[in-house]
Amino acid sequence: MRIGVFICHCGSNIAGTVDCAKVAENARMFPDVVLAQDIMYTCAEPGQAAIEAAIHEHKLDGVVVASCSPRIHEPTFRRTVERAGLNRYMFEMANIREHVSWIGKDKEANTNKATELVQIAVAKLRNDKPLKAKSFDVNKRVLIIGAGVAGIQAALDCAEGGIQVVLVEREATIGGKMAKLDKTFPTVDCSACILGPKMVDVAQHPNITLYAKSEVEDISGYVGNFSIKIRKRATYVDWDKCTGCGACTEKCPAKKTPDAFNELVGPTTAINIAFPQAIPKKAVINPEYCRQLTKGKCGVCAKVCPTGAINYEQQDEVITEEVGCIVAATGYDLMDWTVYEEYGGGRYPDVVTSLQYERLLSASGPTEGHIKRPSDGKEPKNIVFIQCVGSRDRSIGRPYCSGFCCMYTAKQAILTKDHIPDSKSYVFYMDIRANGKIYDEFTRRAMEEYGTEYIRGRVSKIYPDGEGHLIVRGVDTLLGEGVEVKADLVVLAVGVEAAKGSPHLAEKLRISYDSYGFFLESHVKLKPVETNTAGVYLAGVCQGVKDIPASVAQGSAAAAKVLGLFSRDKLENDPQIASVDMKRCVDCGKCIRCCPFGAIKEVEFRGKMYAQVIETVCQGCGLCTSTCPQGAIQLSHATDNQILAEVNTLCQC
Amino acid sequence: MPVLNGKELRIVGFLCNWCSYGGADTAGTARAGQPTDLRIIRVPCSGRIDPLFIVKALLNGADGVLVSGCHPRDCHYAAGNFYARRRLEVLKQFLPVLGIDDRRFEYTWVSASEGQRWQHVVQTFTKRIHDLGPAPKLEDPEPLLKVVDMALTSLRPLGTGQKNKLDELKAAIKAKLPELELVIGWQQGYDAARTVPLFMRTPEDVDKLVWGPFNVNNPAVYLPQYKGKKVGIVVKGCDAKSVVELLQENLINREDVTIFAMPCEGTLDMARVNQELGRYTTIDKVEYDEAGVTITADGKEHRFCMNDYAQGKCYGCTMPTAVISDTLIGTPTEVKPGPYTPPELALLDSMSLDERLAFWRGQMERCIRCYACRNACPMCVCRDYCIAESREPHWISQDDSTRDKLFFQTIHAMHLAGRCTGCGECQRACPVGIPILALRQQIARAVGQLFDGYKSGVDPEAVPPLLGYEVEEKNIHEREWK
Amino acid sequence: MKIAYYPGCSATGSSADYEKSTQAVCAALGMQMEEIRGWSCCGSTPAHAVDTQLSGALSARNLDLAARQKADMVLTPCPSCLSNLRHAAKRLENPEFRAGVNELLDEPLSEKLPEALSVMQGIARAYDTDAIAARVRKPLAGLKLAAYYGCLMSRPHEVMDFGDPENPTLMESLLTACGAEMVDFPLKTECCGASYGIPERAMTARLTGRILHLATMLGVDAVVVACPLCQMNLDLRQQQAAKEAGVAFSMPVLYYTQLMGIAFGLAPSALGLDKLCVSADSLLRKLDQPAAYSKAPEGDKA
Repeated sequence: MRIGVFICHCGSNIAGTVDCAKVAENARMFPDVVLAQDIMYTCAEPGQAAIEAAIHEHKLDGVVVASCSPRIHEPTFRRTVERAGLNRYMFEMANIREHVSWIGKDKEANTNKATELVQIAVAKLRNDKPLKAKSFDVNKRVLIIGAGVAGIQAALDCAEGGIQVVLVEREATIGGKMAKLDKTFPTVDCSACILGPKMVDVAQHPNITLYAKSEVEDISGYVGNFSIKIRKRATYVDWDKCTGCGACTEKCPAKKTPDAFNELVGPTTAINIAFPQAIPKKAVINPEYCRQLTKGKCGVCAKVCPTGAINYEQQDEVITEEVGCIVAATGYDLMDWTVYEEYGGGRYPDVVTSLQYERLLSASGPTEGHIKRPSDGKEPKNIVFIQCVGSRDRSIGRPYCSGFCCMYTAKQAILTKDHIPDSKSYVFYMDIRANGKIYDEFTRRAMEEYGTEYIRGRVSKIYPDGEGHLIVRGVDTLLGEGVEVKADLVVLAVGVEAAKGSPHLAEKLRISYDSYGFFLESHVKLKPVETNTAGVYLAGVCQGVKDIPASVAQGSAAAAKVLGLFSRDKLENDPQIASVDMKRCVDCGKCIRCCPFGAIKEVEFRGKMYAQVIETVCQGCGLCTSTCPQGAIQLSHATDNQILAEVNTLCQC
Repeated sequence: MPVLNGKELRIVGFLCNWCSYGGADTAGTARAGQPTDLRIIRVPCSGRIDPLFIVKALLNGADGVLVSGCHPRDCHYAAGNFYARRRLEVLKQFLPVLGIDDRRFEYTWVSASEGQRWQHVVQTFTKRIHDLGPAPKLEDPEPLLKVVDMALTSLRPLGTGQKNKLDELKAAIKAKLPELELVIGWQQGYDAARTVPLFMRTPEDVDKLVWGPFNVNNPAVYLPQYKGKKVGIVVKGCDAKSVVELLQENLINREDVTIFAMPCEGTLDMARVNQELGRYTTIDKVEYDEAGVTITADGKEHRFCMNDYAQGKCYGCTMPTAVISDTLIGTPTEVKPGPYTPPELALLDSMSLDERLAFWRGQMERCIRCYACRNACPMCVCRDYCIAESREPHWISQDDSTRDKLFFQTIHAMHLAGRCTGCGECQRACPVGIPILALRQQIARAVGQLFDGYKSGVDPEAVPPLLGYEVEEKNIHEREWK
Repeated sequence: MKIAYYPGCSATGSSADYEKSTQAVCAALGMQMEEIRGWSCCGSTPAHAVDTQLSGALSARNLDLAARQKADMVLTPCPSCLSNLRHAAKRLENPEFRAGVNELLDEPLSEKLPEALSVMQGIARAYDTDAIAARVRKPLAGLKLAAYYGCLMSRPHEVMDFGDPENPTLMESLLTACGAEMVDFPLKTECCGASYGIPERAMTARLTGRILHLATMLGVDAVVVACPLCQMNLDLRQQQAAKEAGVAFSMPVLYYTQLMGIAFGLAPSALGLDKLCVSADSLLRKLDQPAAYSKAPEGDKA
């Protein structure tokens, strides 16, 4: 073999703590290495050109680049060697930046370590074999999970681009959290007025198939050809017949059903339509409160329904959809703030969440837009807003900022003054984070024009004084003294967490998630929409906290990725998959038993049974290879011999 | 390449590409300083990590090995790390029997976002390895020769099994023989104090069948080669466990195999018998009584009481009668399980880590690499494709080195994890008498302790522990990185 | 399970009634406790502020005496003692601290020291609410009570392990089992002024006043406490608090053990009720004539 080794300086990023020339000099001693040089920036155009030239000049048949992490530039350099006529898998990378120069200051030790990392890359390369990808058809349909504003945006953009969209929403209506908001900052636009038309577009677009009250149950397959099982929850109403007239909701006698859309402020009926602009505008029965379903007698809704849509026998239905890629846009939930016992732990009705307050402000909410406090329905005069409840609080394991609470609190304070002109609002805050377009101006308005009193400090206790008020005791850290406010209503800006069940969905999508359940993007800066699983993209808060404009932008970005992927008719598979050496296989079935993807089957050949890998299903984890005692099944590009070559290089004394 | 003199020790890391390698990148991007000892090998998934890579590294100069994968439930490949967790934990419990300090190997879970955690893991692990110092090499200690103490008490009275109705068994075999290609059993060998395998094809063959304490071989070893053919087999309790294990692994079909069983009262440890007999020309006669055998060799009588001369496994045997059979002659003997540590394992347990290393060094110097252990093993189904003699994959050299010989024993033991029934054929077949069974016994003990007392060879329908997982493992808990 | 008892210094002085009622209630339940022989100061207020090592050594000495008595746990009625004993145990996990303490003591500490718990926890661990209800002879039915834990019992959370630091509920469960109605008392873990009663009398009066005021507003019959100092501040200083607040208080402040004792039918003298500044007679009368006091429409249920 003729191997060329290229050591990258990465400016001073590597060369600052690694003697790159010395590494190159050492590399020349390794077997089959015919060329070793150090280059200022291997990934830059001149660096790549130098590699290409060297391949031609020195008739190289394998290349090692020692630079940054292969998670960043392995694809780049694979394309480089391919341009020069090599197979892209005759290339190895040594990570001497993230794993060497950036984590150690001892130049001698770093140089030695870098040399060894190059050495194991060379050892691996000497065992590499050219691999060929196979091409396969792409199913140009996209699954979008979650129909909040991010999912809606992605769905509409994809549909406009001519792609068939399958949109799955867990709740009975699309719209997500934005549909629950009264107004939006910083323009104080009516949320329903700007989102509503988009929701209608979703319902009417011929390219969009909407499954509301449905969840993704199972995902199999791979980029280009996913197979999705969708569980349509029983609504006990035949939606094909339901016209959304609402006759049933007027007559339903179970009037104490908790109203999830209204964040449990005020009751609703057991059969209901979430809100007037719901899409789809269809009735749903809550089986836990429906008298017919719980006690077996009532049947009022069935009697009044003019189209005979009520079906108490309805069961969940599982539907299979075939798609080529997936956008996750599952959004967020508020964290369970009742862990804060100092705020009453949920025992005081007049301590509400910001989203509950949003429903109290909303004209379509339970109080029809009149702010009435939950305990006695009185109009509150003194309202205290508390920021960062469950955000930036290490004591409960939530160190991150929820991003948009500062802004909506300012908005709510403004709206409060609009609703109740003789009211007084107080905001306890830690820092005001208003870094968007006309955001800071907006918070200033809340303070200066609307007279909201901002108090920098935390609240240590909320308790009822026994006379119908809540005493909010905190500290003003600017004045350095304690503060007590006698409040009629307390609104908590509760922190955001990933939507319930996010980790579970991530496992189905085979993507990573962080310790708070937010999905992990491919690269925090440069690949914020992609995941590490090909064909799975992210949009909205499921990837990390963001406000409406950012969610919409990411929804469109995800759609652009989908359209980009579908601009090709064929995709190539990753040839780094397992294959069986038939003469070594004894058909013991151990690989079949443990393959997480069912990618290995038994086949008969000349009267004997063998294991065989289904190439399009294999994901390349290599579990089979470490399971097979005789090494009959080998994962290409991570074979036993390739890993052993690395181990043997490091351990030979 | 030698480690950086005086500063570094050799620490090898195996990291999954998706989480931990990314976590190490994240640490690097955050300039989270770490000791320089660690060399990272990138693998697709922690499930790809064959525990043997780790042993290979540790036997060949690594002072520490660190494995890191995605957090459980967070595997890029859905379940790879669940399998890895079981295999790595079994390995961790196995290493000390070789004389390797298990603190030199650790596995953990680090996600791509946990750069700080990765820094902490590397700092902690590197410090641990530096505190332990350079790992002792197999060649360093003087060979330590110790012998297994066979003064054992049996869970049940052992005997010679001569009351068994051998004639009934023969009649039963003859009755079934027309439907079967052959029936495997034992016949007298070159003298009355040996048996050799018997392959019965005719009624005359059946008359040669013998039953008694000399029936030491495990006939199950021959079964897989007859897969797809109708065959019979005569089994002792321990042999039946191998049959069960072969059934579990789909290496034989239940409907093809007819099992003939009789309760076993114990078999002789031929190594000790031969030692007692010494050099002799002819065996004059062999007489049985209830408790033992009297062998007259060259006119001299030697008395072998079963309670003193049985195979090690017989003393702790709780299944003298086959767990699975088609024809059972006699009534099964009930044996209550009692406290019992196999004598080979007890010997290793009594030693310090350093002594164990010295012990294996001495034993492996005696190994002639004949592979009799493997060939006698009924679970060694790879046969001609054993990785011990293959170049693709090329796990092990053909050198006559103690390391490679010990590595082969480790391969055998690891490949038997959750499969070995403790029949002891490997050790019995060893021509130089190395107590290699201890390695398999330690694996079996670890598997039993980790997986709710799992025993191989009992239930043909059971899922072998290393081919399954629990999302929440009852007995495997990640060690804290403090 | 062998239980050692650590009374603490207040028990022999200012809170003799707490001591008396604790002993009486435990005896009534059949809980065996053996006083630590030769117990000394826990290293309370002044000591730990000056030198944690010295104060830790005092607590450790007492735990060690209990260990030598072969006790499995140490119970103490006083939250301050409990805090010191538990802090010492926590700090002893650090080998350096332990070595320092060993140096101070005549003999090195036993390897394993028993865990210190409050008597309240000890009772709750040994007897579930059914067992306690079974011992009740005179249910506290009709009494509306506010449980007040004080600042120390549940804090710091990671050392005291006494339920939620802001909202412990153990006392409520014991007294509910005795038949009382427990109100949600939001100030249950607020500061009573503690030892500032002497140097900062006005501040203490303001703090106790706030607690007493809310209790009065909630219409409770008594505030129930578990700490000698809280009891003293709330009970003894009620007039000072009233002066500061500008309203009169007449709020009985009892130890939870006194109320359990009443429910168990023990004699008032055995519970030290005579030591209270604000008399508990109103409570006892209410219990004796429940009908006269029950104004609720469903009163006939009682």
